[in-house]
Amino acid sequence: MKIKPESYMFEMIRTELTDAVGDANVDVKFADKFGHSIDYYWIPEMWHDRGKECPKADFIVHPGSTEEVAKVMKIANQYKIPVVPWGGGSGSQGGALPIYGGIILDMKRMNKFYGVDKEAYTVRCQTGIIARHLEWNCNKEGFSTMHLPASIACATIGGFLAHRGTGVLSTKYGKIEDMVMSLEVVTPTGEIIRTLPVPRHASGPDLTMLFLGSEGTLGVITEVTLKVHPQPEAREFRAYIFKDFHTAMQAGATLMRSRLGPCAMRLYDETETKTHVSKVFGINLDKGAYLVFGFDGRKDIVASQMKYAREIMEKQFKGKDLGSKGGEWWWENKYKFFYPGYMFHVPQAFGTLDTVADFSHIEKVYWAMKNVVNKEFPDARFIGHFSHWYEWGCMLYARFIFPGDKVPPDEREAAALYNAVWDKAIRAAIANGGVINEHHGVGLKLGRYVKDLYGTAMPVLEGLKKQLDPNGIMNPGKLGFAGC
Amino acid sequence: MHIDNYNEAIMNCRFCFMCRHLSAIGNVRFTEVDTPRIRAAMLYGLRTGTNSFDDEDFVDALYRQDLSGCCVHHCVNHYDENGLALAARADVVEAGKAPAAVKKLADKFVKSIGWKAEGSGDVAWFLDDTTAADKAVVAATKKLFAAAKVSPKIITGGSIGKALKVLGYLPEAKVAAGLFAEFLAKEGVKTLLVSNPAAASALKQDYPEFGVKLPCEVKCVTGFIVQSKVKFAKSAGEVYALADDFLRNYLGCNCMEKLLAAVKAVNKPFGTNDEETYNCGEGAIVLDRLHPELVKALAEYVAARADNPKKDKIVVASAYVKKALAKYGKLNVVTLEELAASCL
Repeated sequence: MKIKPESYMFEMIRTELTDAVGDANVDVKFADKFGHSIDYYWIPEMWHDRGKECPKADFIVHPGSTEEVAKVMKIANQYKIPVVPWGGGSGSQGGALPIYGGIILDMKRMNKFYGVDKEAYTVRCQTGIIARHLEWNCNKEGFSTMHLPASIACATIGGFLAHRGTGVLSTKYGKIEDMVMSLEVVTPTGEIIRTLPVPRHASGPDLTMLFLGSEGTLGVITEVTLKVHPQPEAREFRAYIFKDFHTAMQAGATLMRSRLGPCAMRLYDETETKTHVSKVFGINLDKGAYLVFGFDGRKDIVASQMKYAREIMEKQFKGKDLGSKGGEWWWENKYKFFYPGYMFHVPQAFGTLDTVADFSHIEKVYWAMKNVVNKEFPDARFIGHFSHWYEWGCMLYARFIFPGDKVPPDEREAAALYNAVWDKAIRAAIANGGVINEHHGVGLKLGRYVKDLYGTAMPVLEGLKKQLDPNGIMNPGKLGFAGC
Repeated sequence: MHIDNYNEAIMNCRFCFMCRHLSAIGNVRFTEVDTPRIRAAMLYGLRTGTNSFDDEDFVDALYRQDLSGCCVHHCVNHYDENGLALAARADVVEAGKAPAAVKKLADKFVKSIGWKAEGSGDVAWFLDDTTAADKAVVAATKKLFAAAKVSPKIITGGSIGKALKVLGYLPEAKVAAGLFAEFLAKEGVKTLLVSNPAAASALKQDYPEFGVKLPCEVKCVTGFIVQSKVKFAKSAGEVYALADDFLRNYLGCNCMEKLLAAVKAVNKPFGTNDEETYNCGEGAIVLDRLHPELVKALAEYVAARADNPKKDKIVVASAYVKKALAKYGKLNVVTLEELAASCL
């Protein structure tokens, strides 16, 4: 933002914002601004670790209603101030960082739960609600969103919508974009719009899909109606160890092609099985690749699905059966993978090379990324698992990790090394049929690759942005769009 | 610095979000600064110079914390973010940066040190100020003692150190603890019964940390009543018992569950989950005096989660929580002692 805090214009804008949302809901204190300067992206974490200041917003605004969001947007347009929507701040792509200052629109005050519609099996809520809180509310009424990601404790529903997030039951229940019925959105110029009430129609292009994944660059999603599901009568898991990840991948792909419809599936490569899975479960899995899957629904149907799935795993691919207990290990520890001590942490340098591809390409993508990381960055370790599976392919959750002592002490050199890994690995993935990415979003981190990814379609995306956000104030510099 | 003893929490919590949903203050202020992640990141920033206790807002955030211990209880590693916060407050005080309201309150507690005992015998009941202010709880406890056929000596008086510790005044807290131990020895107390879970935490956890040895065994009144096998003529019926910050998250004590079983209470789950605190800052001891507006917001948050706010019988373990929920949440709240006494 070009207006400095010592200018009287700063105070003019601040009081206009307090008039819109209330005095208690505009923070300009250092501590509050600090709290919104670091998300889960490695670069600002490393920057902070090295004692360097991260860019900060000028105003933290907590709107309490859609109308208040609209008022803030009109003020921001009047003065051409950047606006960055913020949910839980748990994004790994730097999507919510206020890189040009301006207004952070912290949405958590908009956390209303309007209840479950027990006829339509839907739930309506404001988007600032933390996903865990929404899930608890639904559970109390006997339902579940079935959206159970690792970040459920911290991320808001708005964050998932903005970044097309996913949860561990995605294989059956879909990603967040599959769960949405309709949205309420405040456009960058402050108009309140609603998308069509149902997701299946033939009434022109689907505006809901336009805003899902827009990462706060095309507007602010203020309310959502989501599908919910009754809690299943049964949910069973089973796990296998295969001699190598290729065999396990074939087994997993065969299960998906069988259309038996598992609710979840995970496959860890040999390295991740040995190091990570063993540590989280507290057991020794030193050889082979761990694959887990599950089914849920009616008990008799689950039993039948499991019977046929076991035939694929055991008869066709000779997997070593770890039994239902081996599967429960994963379900019970599914969030433990993301706690400190089990997750990577600064001073290590690490990143998730989240890529998705069909079954014809996914192994090529895995090897292309692994080879390039191993060859170009011998200090880095490469591990991977395949965490979201669809009828046609799956998502590769590949990670690179540099030990702390191999990360340059100079923060600029550290950032350069980090970005070099991304440049090489992501381009290798795209060249082999991979799409970046599946559920973390683009944000600041991957914006530089969006033009490569979209190719000749990029001007279409940029045209939409220009039409909706003529002043370019919405989350500038993200999703491959221009900065300010 | 005291915070250096909690390096594990600083280094790990600063980039971790896994307990964000349990940040009671964060959930009513909707802020990032009121979360374990940002507090730890700011405390790390003291080492690199990006943050300083000269920033009054940072210090204020440290004194806004509810200290429920839910984050520690929830964390798979049990990183002690609560201990880190208390250590940070001690560092703030040592740096001479304590807010004026904190200083004033600490002075009041220091001046309050001193106790008196009424009655005889080697079993005593420590009737802390918070519990003493609730006449119904005092009467119920006396009724339970009568049913258990004990007539404990009653000790009343000022701070035994907990509030001073929580405010960051460690030397003063240690002095209070030492003097209280001496007082108990002089009175010949062999068994000390406490009503307030905060007092139980002070005596069972803080005193050993201070190196202060007590001359007596410490028991919660509720646990003592269960042990005494008091006969209850009536069943308590349906209640909503709220897990206590100190009993569950600090002490790992299940005397609440045992007493509820003894009075045949049908305990219905309150709200949407059993992970959050519904104790309105009980762990922070004096949050109601430093930030009554936050205690009000916390109580309203709890009340909004009641099935039927006007009719539900809410059971809590401390007079502090009862007062907060009744005053600001307009809920029908009784303590465990009151519930048990009504079943005699």
